[in-house]
Amino acid sequence: MRALRYTGILPSLLMLVVVIALNARLQPHFFGLPSLEDNIATLTPTILVCLAQAVIVLSGELDLSVGAGVSLINCLLATVPISAVGGPWGLMGLALLLALALGAINGVIVTIFGLPSLIATFATAAVWFGLALALIPQPGGELDQSVGDLYSGTVSGVPVPLFIVAGALLIWTLLGRHRLGRRIVAVGSNPAAAFQAGISVLRVKLAAYLVGWLLVGLAAIAISAQTLSGDARVGDTYTLTSVAAVVIGGISLAGGRGTPWGALVGAIVLGIVSNVIYFAGIPSIWQEFFKGIVIMSALGFMVLEQKRAAVA
Amino acid sequence: MTALRLGRPLLLLALTLLLLAAGEVLLPGFIGPGQIANQLKIASFLGLFGLCQTVVMAAGGQGLDLSVGAIATLGGILGAALMNGSNAMTPIGAGVAIGAGLAAGCVNGVGIAVLGVPPLVTTLALSSVIDGGLIVGVSLAHPANGASPGLVAMTGRSFHGIPTVAVLWAVIAAIAIWLLSRSAWGRRLCRTGANPITARLSGTDTTRVRIVAYMMSGGIAAFGGFLLTGYVGQAFLGLGNAYVLTSIVVAAIGGVALAGGRAPYGGVACAAILMTVLVSLLTAINIGESGRQVIFGLTLLSFLMLDRYLMRARH
Repeated sequence: MRALRYTGILPSLLMLVVVIALNARLQPHFFGLPSLEDNIATLTPTILVCLAQAVIVLSGELDLSVGAGVSLINCLLATVPISAVGGPWGLMGLALLLALALGAINGVIVTIFGLPSLIATFATAAVWFGLALALIPQPGGELDQSVGDLYSGTVSGVPVPLFIVAGALLIWTLLGRHRLGRRIVAVGSNPAAAFQAGISVLRVKLAAYLVGWLLVGLAAIAISAQTLSGDARVGDTYTLTSVAAVVIGGISLAGGRGTPWGALVGAIVLGIVSNVIYFAGIPSIWQEFFKGIVIMSALGFMVLEQKRAAVA
Repeated sequence: MTALRLGRPLLLLALTLLLLAAGEVLLPGFIGPGQIANQLKIASFLGLFGLCQTVVMAAGGQGLDLSVGAIATLGGILGAALMNGSNAMTPIGAGVAIGAGLAAGCVNGVGIAVLGVPPLVTTLALSSVIDGGLIVGVSLAHPANGASPGLVAMTGRSFHGIPTVAVLWAVIAAIAIWLLSRSAWGRRLCRTGANPITARLSGTDTTRVRIVAYMMSGGIAAFGGFLLTGYVGQAFLGLGNAYVLTSIVVAAIGGVALAGGRAPYGGVACAAILMTVLVSLLTAINIGESGRQVIFGLTLLSFLMLDRYLMRARH
């Protein structure tokens, strides 16, 4: 309940209720099991990338290379033959290793070299995109069906994507109770004070990048399992979505304020909006425009609500 | 201080000469007069978009304009629709394009300076609205998209071997350098970026300065898109996309800090020339889009590290 009292999350919860109500009204059998499973499978990568951005933002940094990172991991998965790594699990392990490596590079550049994360990760995004393009110049390549089967399967009746999201949230919850989670927030809200209190700011930020990129790796696996092919631009939209979800979820881009639940709500709002636009029968040429308008109004709404809350 | 201010442009020019020499060695004819004129043309566009970032980054508060690409496309498409291929209507097309850019920049400025939404988010959201709106507009109205012969000539022609568009850029650059480093407004801009609180206390209307900075960025981006329409021959969706990344790269390499307070446009202009030569060299030796992206990213990172090193050395 303490999370709810945080001023930032109430307006975003309101938005969540509105978009779910709209979606339920427009999409036939929205609450039916097949459609729910389908929606969750599509939403999972978005949720994971938004959670990743949230942990990095909470530590007081930012990562504009998550989208390009998703693409690079996707392209690697579509290039490596599954026999070379011993089955789908080997392939996934490889994806997570690459994700951790990319996160470590970003983390080191931002912490040890001390470059501003906004522009440094903008630069690494270009590098990731270039590498992805080198692996898969044209969308194509092929992933083994076994990866897709794993993702669309169920574990004792529960769909795998739901398991992944639940797992990610569990990690988050544990993080909140564990020292590292509190340290991330402390470093994000006031690095100097955290340093005075004996916290290694560098190490905590680096850890935030690694945790975040582990989630990015999971997201890339989920996307690849759905498309079963490689595309150097598949992750492009995730960068904007993740930053917007973080803001809509009431997490301050200045760091140290907000909760992962906010990012979850923001991710679902943005994910379901595409659903609503699709099922409302809006002609395809209007979809981009409406999505932009919704993101903009959601941002404006959040900011005004926060200002009002700050005054009250 | 003067040494430092001149140091960056000189370093960038030296690197440019080095690249030109390397190009000539690898591919004889790389530095022919026609080649140089062509590169100056391309650099002019990059330089204009770099100016957008210079102004908003100098205004501080993590200033950044990721909507320059969308606004450029908007300017190009609006301008082409209005001039409808006629020379007489070209100035009107340019005027409306710039007006639309100023309006878009004003939306950015109000969102950032009044509502307090981070620049990154504001400009990204606005660019998705503009891009989406353009898709609707173009598919419903099917506007004319060709540039008038006059505009094509102006952006493509050379006068005694010097491209007209480069002359235009030089004039704009001279005005920009004066405005940013000599004028009272430029000093207010840098003061706002360096420390908004002291700037406000000493009587600067920082909100207005920031809004004007984003309006300038929008106006210049739209004008850049309009000129680009002439250079390419027609306006199309995605016309300005490539300039989002590259404009930030040249601003950062040119010595503008994301922290704000510095607007060395001379350095940015030299960086625009350097990056243009780099791209053309890479293209000439058959390095594709993927290699160019990687080298772009690494170049930006190295200059960020150089800045960091210089900053530490000074303290």
